[in-house]
Amino acid sequence: MGTFLIDGHVIPFKPGDNILRAALEANIQIPHFCYHAALGSLGACRLCAVEINSKDSGKAPRVAMACLEPSEDGLEVSVSAIAAQQIRQHVIEFLMINHPHDCPICDEGGECHLQDMTVACGPPYRRYRGRKRTFLNQDLGPLIHHEMNRCITCYRCTRFYQDYALGNDLGAMRLRNEVYFGRFQDGPLENPFAGNLVEVCPTGVFTDAIFRQRFARVWDLKTAPSICPHCSVGCNTLPGARDGTLRRVRNRAHPELNRWFICDRGRYGHQYSEHSTRPLAPRVSGADTSYHDALTAAALQIKLAQNRIGGFGSAREDMEGNAMLQALLNKLGGVFTAFCDPELETATIAAVSALQNIGNAPSLADIEQIDAALIIGDLTAHAPMIDLALRQAYRKGAKLALLHSSPTLLAQFATTAISVSPREVYTRLSRLCELVNIESIANDMTEAPMADIVASLMGARNSLLIGAIETLTAYEVFALEKLATTLGSDTRLAYAFPGANAYGAALLSSAGNASTMLEAVENGKIRILIVAGNDPLGDSRFGSRWRAACHNLSALIVLDCISTVTAKAADILFPVAAWTERSGTFINYEGRSQGFSSVFHRSEYLPSVAEVITNLGQYLGRSLPDAESVLCDIFSDFQTPKPGTTGSLITVPALTMPITASIHSIQKSCNSTWQAALASWYGDEALASFASGLMALTPETVALIEPTSAVNAGLENGSQVKLHGPAGSMVLPVRLNQGVATGTIAIARNVLVQLGVGHGDSLELEQVL
Amino acid sequence: MNNSLKELQENLLHLPPTDPKRRAAAIPAMQALQAELGCLDDAAIERIAQITGLSTTEAEELATFYSLIYRRPVGRHIVRICDSVCCSMRGADQLLIAAEKYIRTPLGTVTPNGALTVLPGICLGLCDKAPAALVDGEALGPLNNVSLEALLQRILQEN
Amino acid sequence: MEALLTRYLDPVAPLNLVAYQATGGYRGLTAAFDLKPEKIIDIVEAANLRGRGGAGFPCGLKWRLRGADAPSPRYLICNLDESEPGTFKDRYLLYGSPHQIIEAIIVSAFALQVERAFIFVRGEYAKGGNALNQAIQEAETAGLLGTNIGGSGFNLQIEAHLSGGRYICGEETAQINAIEGRRPNPRPKIPRPSTHGLWGQPTTSNNVETLINVPHILLNGADWFRDLGVNGGCGSKLFCVSGKVQHPGLFELPCGTPARELIFEYAGGLDEGRTLLGFLPGGASTAFLLPEHLDVPMDFDPMAEAGSRLGTGSIIVLDDATCPVKVTLNLMRFFARESCGFCTPCRDGLPYLVQILTSISSGEGQADDLELLDELSTTIASQSFCAFAPGAVMPLVSSLKCFHEHYEHHVTAGHCRFDKTVKDKT
Repeated sequence: MGTFLIDGHVIPFKPGDNILRAALEANIQIPHFCYHAALGSLGACRLCAVEINSKDSGKAPRVAMACLEPSEDGLEVSVSAIAAQQIRQHVIEFLMINHPHDCPICDEGGECHLQDMTVACGPPYRRYRGRKRTFLNQDLGPLIHHEMNRCITCYRCTRFYQDYALGNDLGAMRLRNEVYFGRFQDGPLENPFAGNLVEVCPTGVFTDAIFRQRFARVWDLKTAPSICPHCSVGCNTLPGARDGTLRRVRNRAHPELNRWFICDRGRYGHQYSEHSTRPLAPRVSGADTSYHDALTAAALQIKLAQNRIGGFGSAREDMEGNAMLQALLNKLGGVFTAFCDPELETATIAAVSALQNIGNAPSLADIEQIDAALIIGDLTAHAPMIDLALRQAYRKGAKLALLHSSPTLLAQFATTAISVSPREVYTRLSRLCELVNIESIANDMTEAPMADIVASLMGARNSLLIGAIETLTAYEVFALEKLATTLGSDTRLAYAFPGANAYGAALLSSAGNASTMLEAVENGKIRILIVAGNDPLGDSRFGSRWRAACHNLSALIVLDCISTVTAKAADILFPVAAWTERSGTFINYEGRSQGFSSVFHRSEYLPSVAEVITNLGQYLGRSLPDAESVLCDIFSDFQTPKPGTTGSLITVPALTMPITASIHSIQKSCNSTWQAALASWYGDEALASFASGLMALTPETVALIEPTSAVNAGLENGSQVKLHGPAGSMVLPVRLNQGVATGTIAIARNVLVQLGVGHGDSLELEQVL
Repeated sequence: MNNSLKELQENLLHLPPTDPKRRAAAIPAMQALQAELGCLDDAAIERIAQITGLSTTEAEELATFYSLIYRRPVGRHIVRICDSVCCSMRGADQLLIAAEKYIRTPLGTVTPNGALTVLPGICLGLCDKAPAALVDGEALGPLNNVSLEALLQRILQEN
Repeated sequence: MEALLTRYLDPVAPLNLVAYQATGGYRGLTAAFDLKPEKIIDIVEAANLRGRGGAGFPCGLKWRLRGADAPSPRYLICNLDESEPGTFKDRYLLYGSPHQIIEAIIVSAFALQVERAFIFVRGEYAKGGNALNQAIQEAETAGLLGTNIGGSGFNLQIEAHLSGGRYICGEETAQINAIEGRRPNPRPKIPRPSTHGLWGQPTTSNNVETLINVPHILLNGADWFRDLGVNGGCGSKLFCVSGKVQHPGLFELPCGTPARELIFEYAGGLDEGRTLLGFLPGGASTAFLLPEHLDVPMDFDPMAEAGSRLGTGSIIVLDDATCPVKVTLNLMRFFARESCGFCTPCRDGLPYLVQILTSISSGEGQADDLELLDELSTTIASQSFCAFAPGAVMPLVSSLKCFHEHYEHHVTAGHCRFDKTVKDKT
């Protein structure tokens, strides 16, 4: 740590910092293009010219690029020196030779780094008299618009895309002043983080194609600090709204979580709140009505049912909504849980309990620093930004190992990737645990590749075990915890939870309540079901039972902002605010409690779940305390986290997880040869499934089968098969894929729903000739 | 250099995807394939990607950089006329105009019979023979309008 | 002076291994294996062999700086990618005697204790590359390459890489990228190739002409080599002379021979009735010199003192019937076209200069254009990422000075003095 001077300001620096990095950290601006805090120095744009006075007073000052000059104690640097200004002016003049003067209609308007730099450094007039070079653009898919004429060749895009996000379908073509950033051929960018190009690009080459459809000038956008609702990582975002509609979402840096980037689900999933099927008016028995009438109807039904009531909160609803629903049900003597799949309920609660035992999950910044990881399942779909953090670890040399049942993008970076059927995961985890205790296992060839995994985890100074809860059972959650304990304190444990607030929802739920609820509805003990942000009728494994059981209900009361199967079946429907239309609290995969602000209001009246429940309480004559008080009753020192802050870890009483009693054990019939596995992709999430731009990239609906298993079953690529599950059957083409486990059929979520099977359940396959 | 595509392919077959030899084989593989095909069309770039394990975009990043990797159709014969300083001083500019006029096909494109592409090229290292050209890799020079036209005629009339 | 480097050259039918050995080839190898590697470096350093690729960096010092303890694997690259307009000496070496190159690489690799060497061959020299590959195979069969060469315990593999074709591939670090199969943009100056070169390993790059001197230095001694030069120069040098001379060609002469001798004695002087306007002494990326510089020794330091560079030792001659504006425009077009596109001043600055020069050349220049060219060139030269752009603007800046009146005439008269089809505005 030393200091140097920039035009009289004292700039502290860390060893290895270049002048530009140190200056920016100290909030002193030096104009730059190609330098980016996440991507480092390149030295290509030549804008960050500064004058450096040598400590040796005899030497003349020299102009150098701040991004390539190491910081040195006592250095005197000038940004304002005439010589440096002259260089910057020329660089801007060079860059503006070919940059089009389309600023009035440019999507980057108002947030164009090139314009900022031109105003700050450039010549006020144009001297170049020649023609501009022009390019043809490419169709890069539904999410990103390409406008190559604006390019200033800073190489940020390819450095982000190839070097940082490890994508390989965007590159720099050609040379001289014809360098072209694009793909081999037109087509959607394949990387799950491609949307960051929109922010990484200092000008308008890559712009948000969704925002473009309903463009607003950025200074007209209403913004407020928010938290991404599309997975449990809890990335910080900045949504922008205009005229009562949500237009876009951008990254908002969190020092320990998402710093510069978010995933494409986080950037483009927001379109769900503008979806044409979104419920915007209360409905009773299929007819639109007022909130007052809907509340009156709901209260009446609850009273008539004499409190034989149950309620689902949700892993995608905030703490406030879940807690208020639970509070209401407590008053009414009803059952509450946030999970409609009993297995998911126990697995999620088990994961929170495991983290309580072993210590909190590492932040994304911590994950980037690990040197070995064992990953169970597909993180790209269940926690995309953890995938990106692991890519950073991989770039630094971390060894990644994977146990997966269906194809997963991280496999291409894994040292060891073993495809195992869902039912085999537990055995594998237990075996890994045993292997840790066997000395000299690393040299045992008979145990490879399992021994390789153990060896790399044991050899690591800083390792991570992580699993995607949605494809794990509680047994496997605990097996992973046990492996972490066996490996010792250098090993961190994390789970990708099934929803933005799954961690928090698990804290409010009790293992076993989901099956209790289903059985109670089936046998008529529960007559009223309140569902807030959940979709029991659309559940893959239990949906058909729920759909049947609902006939026993006197009323299905649904609160949601998307048109789920359950919402469509509702007797009484309360449309609620989407996350940008209200404030609230999510608890992320680390147990970090983060607040999000209300960004804007729609013209329609859309209350939050907490508000609807509060009103319902009033209509029932049972007034409830406010959400914060309810939460304080549950979590002793709970404070609603302030939006825009980094959040804080929630302190909770230890969860008791009576494993033997409450783990819902699913009797998987083993007479079938085939197991189903969830084939997910980065857009696969309940809310985002209503985001039309993102959904245009949905992979084709096929049955993915491992080649050898397929051959044994007489199948080949393109064969038609009919899959049978308890709820129905479906004809699909076969696609051979090495990433699928033996004896496993990997299918998309909507196929699972139609068949009525969950991940790991048995499945019948019949070849269609 | 001079590697057969098959040989390159075999050498790379069992290397792990991240082995640096894969990337290093990209240009030799393109040269070998171009020797077979004349130029590299999109299908050829896909084949290079398959052989080396690079993505098609990564292969294209390299292919489009180099002047001697042809991503556009070329004739069976290629005449590269140097347009750099020494040749220019000794009449190369007139030669290029004359060539274009004589073959009645724009520079850089293929004559209708598929026989010939005439390209302007940077200094060919033949300044002692200026104005010079490379005809299918063979050095020729000094050229004048008469000898150039004779050459072009010979190529155009060939079957 | 007796031909040294060109002694074995036969461009029509290059010597095969047997013929090359019969004329004394591969004797340098025996001499090298009798010495300790460090001793060879000492001798090369004492001989003051300076890099022939253009920069003139002392070869012995380069080798010493890499360090005997540099981690393995380490690499040697023989740079045979001359693309500098006016330069064709390496072509003669490649087409004339590939074994001479192989011998030099073996000796140099032994001195550097390198087990894998690359020859980066210019794409346009593909036919020569084929002959080189044959020669490598011959040498392998004869046990001159491979493991335990000549019982010395030294192993060496040589691979020839044929360039895809671009001027920038001659730049040391761009060439490393090219061999690795990356886009041949230059790499940052630090870390240096001597520690982080090919695949991140210690790498030494030398021009082919530099290397072929080494066997001779070992056979005859450092003092002998130094004495080969004249006027303070060291060793023998391959000079190219081209442009407006009667007999363009390659001439091996003592380093330090003045341009007058090269142009007027060896290259046959100018065409009848013409006088010398000026010349580029070391290829396209050097500064123009004037007739008054004809007697400056063609050597590194004297050329620098005269305001230019020895570069590749390739003289390009302009006579008084040549428009220097047009010549300069041609040079700038070349550089703008060959820019790799990595850094702004080079990528966008050079085409800017071309645009201004084009309008001047075609008589549409404006009064302040000359000043503008000068102003922009200063930034381009001083602030580019690699040495390409500083080299590129050298002929322009010097041309503006040396031939100022020609530029003035274009701007004021609105046409070229040599264009007989138009009359002056005035």
